Amino acid sequence: MHISEGIIDLPVWGAAYVGTVAIAAVTMRNMDMEEIPKVSVLTAVFFIASLIKFPLGVASIHFILNGLVGVVLGWRAFIAITLGIVLQAIIFGHGGITVIGVNSIMLGGGALVAYLVWQQRHYFNFAKREFVFGALAGAVGTIFSGSVLAFALMTTGEAFNVIATTVLVAHIPIMIIEAILAGVCAEFLLKIKPEMLSGHRRS
Amino acid sequence: MALDIDRYAHVESPINRWDPRVKLVALGLLIFSIALLKTIPAAIVAIIFAVIILVISALPYHFIMHGLSFVLVFLIPFFLIMPFTYPGEASFSLLGLPFAWEGLRLATLIFIKALSIVLLTFSIFGSSRFDVSMMAMQKMKFPKTIIQMLLFTYRYTFVFLEEMKCMHTSMKVRGFIARTDVKTLKIFGHFVGTLLVRSFERTERVFNAMLAKGYQGELHSMVTFESNTNDYVKALCVIVIAFSLVAGDYSGFIHRAEQGWY
Repeated sequence: MHISEGIIDLPVWGAAYVGTVAIAAVTMRNMDMEEIPKVSVLTAVFFIASLIKFPLGVASIHFILNGLVGVVLGWRAFIAITLGIVLQAIIFGHGGITVIGVNSIMLGGGALVAYLVWQQRHYFNFAKREFVFGALAGAVGTIFSGSVLAFALMTTGEAFNVIATTVLVAHIPIMIIEAILAGVCAEFLLKIKPEMLSGHRRS
Repeated sequence: MALDIDRYAHVESPINRWDPRVKLVALGLLIFSIALLKTIPAAIVAIIFAVIILVISALPYHFIMHGLSFVLVFLIPFFLIMPFTYPGEASFSLLGLPFAWEGLRLATLIFIKALSIVLLTFSIFGSSRFDVSMMAMQKMKFPKTIIQMLLFTYRYTFVFLEEMKCMHTSMKVRGFIARTDVKTLKIFGHFVGTLLVRSFERTERVFNAMLAKGYQGELHSMVTFESNTNDYVKALCVIVIAFSLVAGDYSGFIHRAEQGWY
């Protein structure tokens, strides 16, 4: 879920811009030539994949997939998501230009946290490991984003408290759906092309 | 789905002829100033200017409307939720829920501001070819790596959109109907996984092709820019508008007028 233009106050979205640039700079360190097309192509895939509609009763939702981005791209997930957000703002007018920083920290930060959770799998060894940790990554990515979104809304003023809480609660079913999807996808990748999973160690 | 924002970039207009670098900076400043506005009358003036600029750009009406549909779907719920959830005194009750004028006022302000900014975004990126816009950004000192990645991502988005449509068709042909159940989620999980695997293999081929063509980490473009006085005159107009919007808004001049309205 993105935040749109005109809602957040200047200090918040200004600081978010600074934060985004800082995190992007750190996570892009030592990025070599070969990674440029790789990150771009995978960003395009996630951009497109987020257009898939999953029916939810009478309505439908779009997937966020930031946990999965973290699982596949590792540290580079942050810039990938930021680029996705920039393109969404330019192409769709969805989200917004002034809030690119806020949206990046929200979704990109979620991807990074998901990646950290995903990396913990090395301490365990059991059959469905990739599914469980993929699902955890998906869930963590979603709930982190939801929390940042709620927080950003609350900094804007009391008027948004109810909306912020609603948003947070709405993320719970989304979290479950994202978790299952990410887990299934991680397992699939393990079987078909394990080197795509970040932190993959050849045993 | 109209993903190519620059489909009508060839349409001739004063905006189209504007040096993209100057256009980017001037209209970017205008967007920034609109984001700062705090009163509805100022926002209304802002959106009038945004519409005027859009009309000058001669972009087709249906193209803009299609693009706006995504934004509106997101913004309309605000109108419905804000007035009822605004903390403080409610003016009256509507359908058993407390209705606050302040909430409606805030929602209206957000709506008008967001719409103005989106319309300006269309004016900026709809009036130049995407790679020209990106080269303009690179000339304004955006990091080259980021610009490269934006260009690649934009280009491959269309490739994968086609691929996704193909895969979706083949799923439907095999009797797939999306439902709210775990089975659908599993299928979507495999669907995304397949897209990822195919794209990953594609990047290896793309990178090798680029290396074969002499890629060494930098994109060389034949896009050149040259500006003339006209460009700076247009920029000056826009900057004056941006400045007066913020000045009028913050000096209280517009606010005093607003108080008198209700």
